[in-house]
Amino acid sequence: MEKYFDVSYIWSSLPILLPFLKVTFMVAGLSIIFGTFLGLILAVMKLGKNKIAQKTAHFYTTILRCTPSIVLLFLVYYGVPALADNFGLYLHDLNTAVFVVITFTLQFAAIMSEVIRSAFDSIEKGQFEAAVSVGLSPFQAYRRIIFPQALVVALPNFGNGLIALLQEGSLAYTIGLIDIVGKANLIIAANYNTHALEIFIALAIVYWVISILIEKFFGKLEKVFSKGKQTINTN
Amino acid sequence: MSEGLNYTFLIDTFFIALSGVPITLLVTIVALLIALPLGFLLALTRINQVPVLNWFSRIYVSFVRGTPIIIQIFIVYASVPLILSLFFEKYNININVYNINPIWYAFIVFSFSTTAILIEVFRSALSTVNKGQLEAAQSVGLSNFQAYRRIVIPQALVVALPNICTATVNLIKATSLGYAMSLQEITLKAKVAANVGYNYVEAYIDIFLVYIILCSLVEYGFKIYEKRLRRYKYVSA
Repeated sequence: MEKYFDVSYIWSSLPILLPFLKVTFMVAGLSIIFGTFLGLILAVMKLGKNKIAQKTAHFYTTILRCTPSIVLLFLVYYGVPALADNFGLYLHDLNTAVFVVITFTLQFAAIMSEVIRSAFDSIEKGQFEAAVSVGLSPFQAYRRIIFPQALVVALPNFGNGLIALLQEGSLAYTIGLIDIVGKANLIIAANYNTHALEIFIALAIVYWVISILIEKFFGKLEKVFSKGKQTINTN
Repeated sequence: MSEGLNYTFLIDTFFIALSGVPITLLVTIVALLIALPLGFLLALTRINQVPVLNWFSRIYVSFVRGTPIIIQIFIVYASVPLILSLFFEKYNININVYNINPIWYAFIVFSFSTTAILIEVFRSALSTVNKGQLEAAQSVGLSNFQAYRRIVIPQALVVALPNICTATVNLIKATSLGYAMSLQEITLKAKVAANVGYNYVEAYIDIFLVYIILCSLVEYGFKIYEKRLRRYKYVSA
C-alpha cells in the first residue's frame, strides 16, 4: 500500500507550481498599480477640506475593511456583469483575471489610502510652514520636504499591505483563476485527491518564502530611505 | 437576461445569512479565548528570550504571517484527519474521523493563526511599557505575577486594544473561509440558498451586509471599551 504522506511529492510539485507564480504576480502587480492610484485619490479626499469627500472616503475604507475578500471577490464576479447588463454591456465572458484585479484594486486602495493618510499625518505641519517660509513653493515643499519623510513612514505599512494583498490573492482560485493555488488544486484533482497535504505544504513554502523576501526587501529599503531621519532609535 | 434584483429572495436570504452569525461568533470567541492567553505567554517568551520557545514562536509567527489563511486551512483540514486516524487506529478507538464536526477544525485553524497575530500584538504592546515600571513594582514588594497583573498588563492593554480589535475583525472576516471545511457559517448558508435559483448577486449582497453590520458592531464595542480603559488609566495615573 502507498504511503499516506510522501515528502517527495513536495519537491516534485514545486517545479510545476512555480511557473504559475507569474499569474499570481501579474494579478497582484496590476492591483498594486491601480490600487495605489485609487488609494492616493482617497487619501487626498481624506486630507482635503471638503467634508463630503472626507466622509465618502472614510465610509469607503470602513466598508472595505469590514468585508472579507472572498465576499468582495464574488460580489464583483457576479455583481459587475449583472450591473453591466443594465447598461446593455455583456461582460459575462470576461477573463476571470479582470474580476480578480478589480476586487483587489478596490481592497488595496482602502489599505493604501490609510497608509498614505497616516504617513502624511505623521509629518508635523511646521515642516511645511518652515519650508514655505524659506521660499519654497508649496509644490517644492511637498516634493523635497514632506514626501521624503512621509515615504519612510509609509514604507513598512506599504510592505505589510503588499504581503496582505498577495495572501488575499490566493483566494482568486475560487472564481476559477489558474494561479499558483488554482494549479495546486488541479494537480490534486488529477491525483484523485491523494497527497493533497504535500501539495498544500509546497504552496505554503512558496508563499512563506515570498513573504520573507518582501519583508527583507522593505527592511533594506527603509534603511536606505531613512538615512536623513533624525529621531530616537526605537529598534 | 437582465431582470434586476430579486427582492423577496434578497430579504429572505438576509435572514438565512443572519442565522449563520452564531456559528461565526462561536468560532471567533473560542479562537480568541484560546489565542489570548497563549499569545500572551508566547509573547513573554519572546520578551524574556526564553531559549527554545523564543525561536519556536519566531518561526511560528513568521509562518502564519507568511502564508495565506486558506492554505493553513487546507493543511489542517488535510493533515489532522490523517494524524487522528493513525492515532485512533493505534488505540482502537472506534470513531470515524470523517464524521467529526468541521467546527473542531475551524477552532484549530483559527486559534492557530490568531495566536500568532496576538503574539506580535502583545510583544509590541509589552515593549511600550517602561522597564522601570516593572522594577519599581518589584521594589515595593510586589511579586512578579502581581507586578504583571496590576502594573504592566493594564498599561500594555491600552496600547494593545486597537490591534486586538483589528485582529478580531480580521478573524471574523477569515471565518468566511470556513466554507472550505464546510462550516455552516454566514457565507456557506447564503451560498447554499443561492444555489437553488442562481441568485448569487443577491446572496452576496446579503453576506456583504451581514459582515459589515457584524464588524461595525465589533469595532464599536472595542471603541467603547477602549474609552473606558483610557479613563481608568487617566484616573489611576
